[in-house]
Amino acid sequence: MSNDPIHQFHTNNTVDAPIAQLPGPFGDLAFNDAALFMVAATGLTAAFFWWAMRPAALVPGRAQVVAETGYNFIHGMVRDAAGDEGVKRFFPFVFTLFLWIFAANMLGMFPYFFTPTSQIVVTATMALMVFFTVIVVGIAKNGFKFFKLFVPSGVPWYILWFVVIIEVISFFSRPLSHAVRLWANILAGHLVLKVFAGFVPMIATAGLVGIVGAILPLGMTVGLYALEFLVAFLQAYVFALLTCIYLNDALHPGH
Amino acid sequence: MADRKPPEDALSDLRRRVAEARGEGASNAPPPQSAAGLALRFGGEFGAAIIVGALLGFGADYFLHSGPWGLMIGFGLGFAAGVVNVVRTAQAYNRAHPPSPNAPSIPDDED
Repeated sequence: MSNDPIHQFHTNNTVDAPIAQLPGPFGDLAFNDAALFMVAATGLTAAFFWWAMRPAALVPGRAQVVAETGYNFIHGMVRDAAGDEGVKRFFPFVFTLFLWIFAANMLGMFPYFFTPTSQIVVTATMALMVFFTVIVVGIAKNGFKFFKLFVPSGVPWYILWFVVIIEVISFFSRPLSHAVRLWANILAGHLVLKVFAGFVPMIATAGLVGIVGAILPLGMTVGLYALEFLVAFLQAYVFALLTCIYLNDALHPGH
Repeated sequence: MADRKPPEDALSDLRRRVAEARGEGASNAPPPQSAAGLALRFGGEFGAAIIVGALLGFGADYFLHSGPWGLMIGFGLGFAAGVVNVVRTAQAYNRAHPPSPNAPSIPDDED
């Protein structure tokens, strides 16, 4: 095991099962670690909800309380940010995103496990999914009025063209910041964690003084680990919340 | 079922009564955001707009063969859009987390 903090982000093919041969320089379509843990996050979430909601009791058990609290939490969030219509149209989408990101982040907290959300392809795919949903639903529902999103009311005409350009750039910057926020948080957290954890064996090899001194980075690692659990939840929440805010623009364009 | 309301109405009526009985969303306060997360969020909003603005300008250059001007103008516009993004984020944050009314006011140079 290397001390290289980047090493954990390599997408190795631990399960060596090439799915298909791709044409030309692309090689084979392999089932790599990222894919493995994405499937695991999906499967664990589905299995937990299936198992927790199986009794569907009027007086819920412990697992059912957890499942229903999560449901209500995101349900309330979607309603606050996008209204009742947003709940009707988008709640399953937002709830799926939240659960999946949360499960992937939490799986990544296990040592030696891979974190799919530390790859920008994964977060960018989700952010672009939201982005195109906003455009498609916005135009399908509001027609031409959707473009009022870029034209704020009450701006004099001689400055309006400038404001429209800025609004368009701001709109197109959304998927980028949406994807980068989740990715950077997870990547940075895991890097810092690995750097401090790497200090422990490095210092501990320096004799008795080193072993005593290694307590400091060890304590730091424990503290950072706790912080990473908070980040794992918070980033899933923030991603879902911003999804709601962006989807609200599709339903109610115009400021 | 004496009243013949459509099921949608009955459902929303029930939803309203349940929400009232529950004290409406008391358990739904957003979790506090860490300072580092907030800083990363502002920085991301700002940087993303600059990158998108510069890319749009570069794309205009590529198709119109207009030298560095598109990139330069796009960079500037992206900067402006980034400021707009940061101000919007800050406004949304302040709306979600209003400052305590008992907090001491920040001294002003003018006073």
